[in-house]
Amino acid sequence: MSGILRLVSRTKLYWGLIAIFLLGVLSSPVSSKGNNIFLSYGNLLDVLRQVSITGLIATGMTAVIITGGIDLSVGSLMAICTVVTAMLLTIEGGTPAAYMGLPMAGLVALVVGYAIVRFIFVNLEKSRHGADYGRDVTLDRTRGLLIPLAAGAVLAALLIFYLVPQTVTKFGVPGVLIVAPCVGLFFGAVNGMLIVGGRLQPFIVTLAMMVTALGIARLTAGQNNAVLPVYTGTNAVAEFDRLRSLVFGVVPMPGIFFLAAIVIYAAVLRFTPFGRYVYAIGGNEEAARLSGIEAGKVKIITYAVSGLLAGIAAVLYVAQYRQGKPDAGAGLELDAIAAVVIGGTSLMGGRGSMAGTFCGVLIFGLLSNILQLHNINSNLQLVLKGLIIVGTVLVQERNLADLLNFVRMPASRPAPKDAAERTPPEKMIHNTGGNIK
Amino acid sequence: MVDVPDSAPAGGHVSLLQAVAISKSFGGIAALADVEFDLRRGEIHALMGENGAGKSTLMKILSGVYSGYDGAIRLDGRTVSFANVRQAEAAGIAIIHQELNLVSELTVADNIFLGREKRIAGLVIDRRAGRLAARRLLERLGIDLDPDARVSALRVGEQQLVEIAKALSLNARILIMDEPTSALSPAECERLFRIVRQLAADGVAVVYISHRLDEVMQLARRVTVFRDGRHVLTRPIEELTEDAIISAMVGREMLAADYRTSDVQGEVVLSVCDLTLSKPYRGGWREVLKGVSFDLHAGEILGVGGLLGSGRTEILESLFGAAKGQAGGEIRVHGRLVDIRSPRDARRLGLALVTEDRKTQGLHLEASITNNVALPLVSRLAAFGLRSFRGERALAEGAVKSLGIRCSGIDQAAGRLSGGNQQKVVIGKWLATRPRILLLDEPTRGIDVGAKREIYDLVFKLARDEGLAIVVVSSELPELLLLADRILVMSEGRQRGILRRADASEERIMQLAAPTAAKAAA
Repeated sequence: MSGILRLVSRTKLYWGLIAIFLLGVLSSPVSSKGNNIFLSYGNLLDVLRQVSITGLIATGMTAVIITGGIDLSVGSLMAICTVVTAMLLTIEGGTPAAYMGLPMAGLVALVVGYAIVRFIFVNLEKSRHGADYGRDVTLDRTRGLLIPLAAGAVLAALLIFYLVPQTVTKFGVPGVLIVAPCVGLFFGAVNGMLIVGGRLQPFIVTLAMMVTALGIARLTAGQNNAVLPVYTGTNAVAEFDRLRSLVFGVVPMPGIFFLAAIVIYAAVLRFTPFGRYVYAIGGNEEAARLSGIEAGKVKIITYAVSGLLAGIAAVLYVAQYRQGKPDAGAGLELDAIAAVVIGGTSLMGGRGSMAGTFCGVLIFGLLSNILQLHNINSNLQLVLKGLIIVGTVLVQERNLADLLNFVRMPASRPAPKDAAERTPPEKMIHNTGGNIK
Repeated sequence: MVDVPDSAPAGGHVSLLQAVAISKSFGGIAALADVEFDLRRGEIHALMGENGAGKSTLMKILSGVYSGYDGAIRLDGRTVSFANVRQAEAAGIAIIHQELNLVSELTVADNIFLGREKRIAGLVIDRRAGRLAARRLLERLGIDLDPDARVSALRVGEQQLVEIAKALSLNARILIMDEPTSALSPAECERLFRIVRQLAADGVAVVYISHRLDEVMQLARRVTVFRDGRHVLTRPIEELTEDAIISAMVGREMLAADYRTSDVQGEVVLSVCDLTLSKPYRGGWREVLKGVSFDLHAGEILGVGGLLGSGRTEILESLFGAAKGQAGGEIRVHGRLVDIRSPRDARRLGLALVTEDRKTQGLHLEASITNNVALPLVSRLAAFGLRSFRGERALAEGAVKSLGIRCSGIDQAAGRLSGGNQQKVVIGKWLATRPRILLLDEPTRGIDVGAKREIYDLVFKLARDEGLAIVVVSSELPELLLLADRILVMSEGRQRGILRRADASEERIMQLAAPTAAKAAA
C-alpha cells in the first residue's frame, strides 16, 4: 500500500499533466465536423507556441530557484531585448540599441572565449594527471590567464567586426540572435554579481533590476514608449519570419527553442559539475562553500543564463507578435515562477528539476487553453489560475495522509488550531501554544 | 510557579508518571517495543541509550508530539493520552528539545511568555507585567539573567536557561531535557546542574537525556537504559558504574582502547605564527583571536581546548580560509608561506575541515551519500565538463567501506542516517580529498558512545598509520586527554599555553581556560 502511495507521489507531476489533458479532451467543444477541438493539431500547436516564451523564461528561472534564489527581473530584461531586437531589425545606423548591444556582445564574447579556452587547458592538464584526484590542477599564468584572455579578445574582435557593418544596413537574423541574448546575459550577470559581490538578497536585487530595466527599455525605445513594429519583408528582413514558422511544417520554431533549452539545461544540471553545484548550493550553501566550491561563480552563471534565455525569448516574441515594446514582458516573471513551483521545484532551494518545470509550463499552458476554448471571461481565468497554483502546490508539498489531516483537523476538533498538528513529525517544533483567556 | 501541594506523599516511591508497554513504529520499523518507564516526584531520572535507541521517541510520546502508539501512559495513576503538545503541557509535562526553540530577536521575557503574553484589556501586550513576572520567575530559579536582554545577545548556555524558565512558567511538574549540555561549557553545565537539582528538590520530576556519562553519574538518582527500542534496565545510580551503563547501552563490554602515543614525530607540516582574527562588531572590529602560534607535525594530534567562545573554532576557520573577518599572521604549510583566502585555497594545500555542526555546515541532508562524499571532487573527477558518476560512486563506496558507515546503500539520503553515520559521511568527504592536514571541530558532538569510539579509532589510525597531521577542537576534556599528543588551551581569544600529554590533566586545562576575571576573583 505504501509502495503504491510512494509511486503515485513520485509521479504526481505527470499525473497532474495527464489529468489536465484528460480534462481538456473531455470538456472540449466539438467542431461542426465532429472533431475534438482541444485535440486538434492546430490547437495543440497553439499551446506549444503560447507556452514557449514563458517556458524559456521558466527554464532559466528553475536553476536560479534551485540555488535558493529568485529572478524577478526576467520580464523587464525581455522587454529591453524586444526593443533592441526590433530596433536593430528595422532602423539603420547608430541607434541606442546598437550603442548598447554591441559593447555588451563584445564583452560577452570576451568572457565566453576566455572561459572556453581555459576550460580546454584545465581539462588537458587534468587528463595528464589522470586518476590522481587528490590534487587539484593548477595552471601557470600563460595557460591559465594570458592565452585564454587573448582568445577571448580575438573572439570579441571577430564578433564586432561581423556586427558593425550590419548597423549601417539593418541587422539580419543571426545578428539579432547574437546581440539580443547577449544583452539579456549581460544584465543577468549584473544581477548575479550584485547578489554575490554585495551579499544582497536576490529578491531585492532582481526587484531593483526589474524596475531599472523597464526604465532602460523605455529610454531605449525613445519617445512615447514607442511600440516598434516589425514588418518582415518591408521594414525588416523577410527571413525573420522563419522564427515564427513551422519547422518542416510540424513544430513551431519557438517550441523548438523551448524544448532545446529545457533538454540542454536539464542535461547540464544532471551531467556536469556545475549542475551538481547548483543543487548543493541550494541544499546547503555553507557546506558547499566549505567544500571548496565557488558558490559565487555558480550563482552568477545561473542569473546570467536566466537573462540569456530572456533574451532569446525576446527575439521569438518579436517574431511572434511583430513588434518590440517596453511592456512586452510585464508579469511574465510571475507566470514563470508559478510554472516552476507547479513543477515541484522548492522555493527554499536544493530541490527541483527541469522535467518538473516542463510539466508545470504545460499544465499552465493547457489550462489557459481549456479556459479559452470555453470562452471564459479573462478576469475569471485569472482567478481560476490562482486557485490552480495554490491547489497544485498544496497537493505536491504534502503527502496524502498529511493532506487529509489538514482537511479533517479543524472539523473534528473545535479547539484552537495547533500548528504542531499539521507539521510533519521530523520538522516538529516545540509549540508552547497559548492559554488565551 | 512551581506548584507543590503540601499533601504530596513526601519521598514516597509513588510513580508520578508511568509508561506501560509502549510500542510505536514508523513505516513498519519498530522504534519502541513494549517499553516501560516510570518517573517519581522530585527525582532526576537519566534516560540513556545510543542514537536510535528510542529515547526521543518515548519523550515525544510523553510530551504529546506523537499521538499514535500502543500501550498506556498513567499520570497520577490515571490513564491519559495527549493528542498534542498543548494537552501535555496542560497536564504539566514540558519538554526542552536539543535544538533550542527561541525567537532570537525577542527579549528573554518576551520569549518566556511567547503566545501567553500578559495583556491589558485583552488587547495590548503588557510588557511591564511580563517583565516583572519574568524577573520573579528567573529569580526564583536562581537564574541570573536580564529579562530585557535580547536572546540573540545571550550565549548558548544562557539560552538554555531561558528555555528552562519558559518550560517552568507553564507550571510544569515534569520536565524533559533532551541533551541540554551538548553546547555548554563546563561552567555553564555546573550552573545548569545546580538549577536542575534545585528544581528536583522543589518536587519537579526531571527526565534527563544525555550521552555524557560523567554528568549522569553526578546528577541522576536513577538511570534507565534503552537499546534498539527496548527497555534494558532501570536502577538507582548507586548500583551502577560507568562501565555497566556503557555495556548496557551497547550490549557488549567496551574495552578501553590502548591509544599509546608514539614519540616519533614527523616533519613540521603546518606552522602557525601569531595568528589573529578580527570580526566586524557594532560598526568596528573586535579581535576574537590573538597571538596563536604552534607547529604541527606529521602524525601528530594537537588538541585545542577552552570554553565555548574562547576562539577554538576560529582557529580552524582562519586556517581554512572560512572565517568571516580579517585574518592576520603567518601560516606555513610544508615550510612554504601561504595565503589562504578561501576554503578552495585551503583544499588545494591539502587541508580539510570537518565542521562543528554537520547539519548546517557539513552536509546537504537531502542529497545522497554519494553526492555528499564526492562534492569537493565532482569537478576534479569530471572530464571535459562531464561528471564521472562511476568515479563518484567509487569514492562513496570507499568511504562507506573504510569508515563503516551503516546505510542502506550509497544512494541513501544523508539526512536519514544516524548522527554518528552522518559525521562519518562528513569525514569521508574530506578524506576523499586525501588531505595532509585534518582539522576536526567537535568530531563527536551529539553522537553515541559506540560511534564515538569508532571515530577515535579512526582519528588514531589516520595519524599513526597514514601520518596525517590532525587538529582536534573539543569541549569534552576526557576526549582531548584521550586523543591529543599536545593540548593548546584557549581563553578569551588568546593562547594560554600548550600542554604536553604527560603534563595535561582536566584541572590543568581548566585552570588555563578560565577567563582572567574569574582567575582574579579566585
